[in-house]
Amino acid sequence: MYIKVNNLSFKYKNANNPTILDFSFSINKGEIISIFGQSGSGKSTILRLIAGLETPKEGSIEINNMIMVDNNTFILPEKRGVGMVFQDYALFPHMSVEENIRFGLKKMSKSEKSNRVDEVLNLVGLQEYKRRYPHELSGGQQQRVALARAIAPKPSLLLLDEPFSNLDADLQAKIREDLKEIITKADITSIFVTHDKEDSIAIADRVVILDEGRIIKIGSSKDAFN
Amino acid sequence: MIKSREIKSIFNVWSILSFIFVLLIILPTLNVSLNLFNETSENWGHIKEYLLLDYIVNTLSIVVFVGVLTLIIGTSLAWLVTSFKFPLSRFYKWSLLLPLAVPPYVAGFTYHGILNYTGVIQTFLRKNLNMNINQNYFNIMNHKGAIFILTVVLYPYVFAIVRSYLAKQSADLIENGRVLGKSPMNIFFKVVFPISRPAIIGGVSLVILEILNEFGLFNYFGIATFSVAIFRTWFGLSDLDSAIRLAAIVMLMVLVILLSEKLMRGRKRYGYTSSKIRPIQPIELTGIKKVFATMYCSIIFGFGFLVPTVQLLHWSLLTYKEILNIKFLEYLLNSLKVSTISTIIIVVISIIIANYSRINENILTKIYTRVTILGYSIPGAVIAVAVMIFFIDFDNKTFALRQMISANTTKLYLSTTLVMLLFAYVIRFLGIGYNSIESGFDKIGKSYFEASRMLGMSVTKTFFKIDLPMIKPAIISGFILVFIDIVKELPLTMILRTFNFHTLATKAYQYANDEMIHEAAISSMFIIIISGVLIYLLNKNMSKGGRRNVHKG
Repeated sequence: MYIKVNNLSFKYKNANNPTILDFSFSINKGEIISIFGQSGSGKSTILRLIAGLETPKEGSIEINNMIMVDNNTFILPEKRGVGMVFQDYALFPHMSVEENIRFGLKKMSKSEKSNRVDEVLNLVGLQEYKRRYPHELSGGQQQRVALARAIAPKPSLLLLDEPFSNLDADLQAKIREDLKEIITKADITSIFVTHDKEDSIAIADRVVILDEGRIIKIGSSKDAFN
Repeated sequence: MIKSREIKSIFNVWSILSFIFVLLIILPTLNVSLNLFNETSENWGHIKEYLLLDYIVNTLSIVVFVGVLTLIIGTSLAWLVTSFKFPLSRFYKWSLLLPLAVPPYVAGFTYHGILNYTGVIQTFLRKNLNMNINQNYFNIMNHKGAIFILTVVLYPYVFAIVRSYLAKQSADLIENGRVLGKSPMNIFFKVVFPISRPAIIGGVSLVILEILNEFGLFNYFGIATFSVAIFRTWFGLSDLDSAIRLAAIVMLMVLVILLSEKLMRGRKRYGYTSSKIRPIQPIELTGIKKVFATMYCSIIFGFGFLVPTVQLLHWSLLTYKEILNIKFLEYLLNSLKVSTISTIIIVVISIIIANYSRINENILTKIYTRVTILGYSIPGAVIAVAVMIFFIDFDNKTFALRQMISANTTKLYLSTTLVMLLFAYVIRFLGIGYNSIESGFDKIGKSYFEASRMLGMSVTKTFFKIDLPMIKPAIISGFILVFIDIVKELPLTMILRTFNFHTLATKAYQYANDEMIHEAAISSMFIIIISGVLIYLLNKNMSKGGRRNVHKG
């Protein structure tokens, strides 16, 4: 198993009830997993825990046989090699598209970095937008830059938080297909969070259905919703 | 039980520095509180019996009147310039802030100079109209005069906060009122007033804290408020313990004010800040309303800024030949030096604590935030007592240690240097810088920070590459606000300065106190010019920052 999550529990400081309770599952390399649930079901919290942006109360997370967190270990988010696309994209407004993508590239020569930037921009189809600034892009373009930025450092795992929530409904079908294509091409193990069944069915290999911090069902995207 | 992984996450540069700073801020205050339990002297009995009631009545009566007046003037002006267009409305939108550049003690002696027997008004009446005037009519050095002066120079606190609060409110609120056919007056009392309540209360609280802090004006006018009483007891009677007791009473008042502010504001602290909100569109005033609006703004602006400035300018022209010399340059440079150094220290500490607190939101960092902004609520006189005692204690306790290192060290060490003054400035004005920088962090939110972490950058690298460039407008605002306050500052500077060290503020006050009002003019003018220019830049910086935000999203 490539990713192992064991008995994860988490409670926000001001909350009365745990947000995540005894959450366990595992993912194979290259799989695309969807975590599906209503708002408040704790689905984004799972992503934040895996990313290292929150610390679990109990449980452990392993990626590629490396312990990310357990009772004795806590690997900082910047050391986990996990990429994340945020719900609001969080593109740095004072940097151009190119600078945004270059930001995460380390231990590479200048020309290697430039090549990698071109490569991922090609992948998301935004070669011509290199010098633009985030506010000069449409919502869909911003999302693709965020995706390119997250993919560029070749993370071992890609997390996407509600990738479609900020986009126009009529664009959604097209963007779903594009996203699936990009992730498949990049060949990255991915987890994305959504509250839309259609998203899960269209993109994911497997779906985890979450309610009030507990897993209700795990199954292939066809079976999970039956 | 603490897990081993948690211990590691607690210790880093940000947490350690924050802890040290907070400790340094709070130590003098804690130290001075211990002295409260010393035995009382006979002076205290005398003060308690004959003077205390006066101090309380003087202070509270001025607080109440100035509080109410600044509330009315500040709020109404803010509403006028945000909701209406009238002649000069664009100019007054920012220039009504300018009285902030005039320190109350400067306004105090200037108005006294205008109104006294040799002043411009009485001279005019005597020479041209041959009138002999009852001096009582023209005496400003009393309660009423102090209330007038504090009102016209302190209302900008209310004005500034309510104005920026209204600018963030949705136009829908006001326009609904208009559509429903309410008159502007009706809208003001039924809509604007209630929705701006948190901002108004915030502004008035600042005014009250400024009054409690004020020393120069009251001392010059001979009104015994608490700040004045602390000084007199400390230096006049050399009775430190009684001074500390008085300070404790002021702090009790401050606590009551802060607590009631919190209660009155309730949970509505900031209102919306989203850039998606359509701002209020000002409507054009016509006819007599237009005239009244311009007149009202002009009168307040005139009293708070124009009249004192023009008078000071006139006096400056009379005296510049004697005053503008190499000595004066030294005072100017001293002012700039201490202001710059302490402002930089304040901004750096604010950034470190604010960044640490927003990354780790817990009880500890909440306490940090409280402590950081505490100093601004403490009157200068109280901080002066606390810092002085702290440094003398420190010097005494480290004397033996210092002797081991160097034989010719003196018993008083740090307390004879400017370090003491800078330290006091930092405690007193850290809150101003902190608020500004914290709101800068609030505005950008945490997701850029998290995105950077996910792209492999540590907290510190993220800070320099992402946070710092993004909060630059807030840093500039914080810097300017703190700088203005320190250039004007009087009580701390007066007590804690080293021998023969003068700033523009202490020099202006010294001249005025020696009845050399004309000579005081140039130092005062420089304070006003420096602060005025900074207020102008601040206003520009803020409106630029606002516009940039609209692009986002």
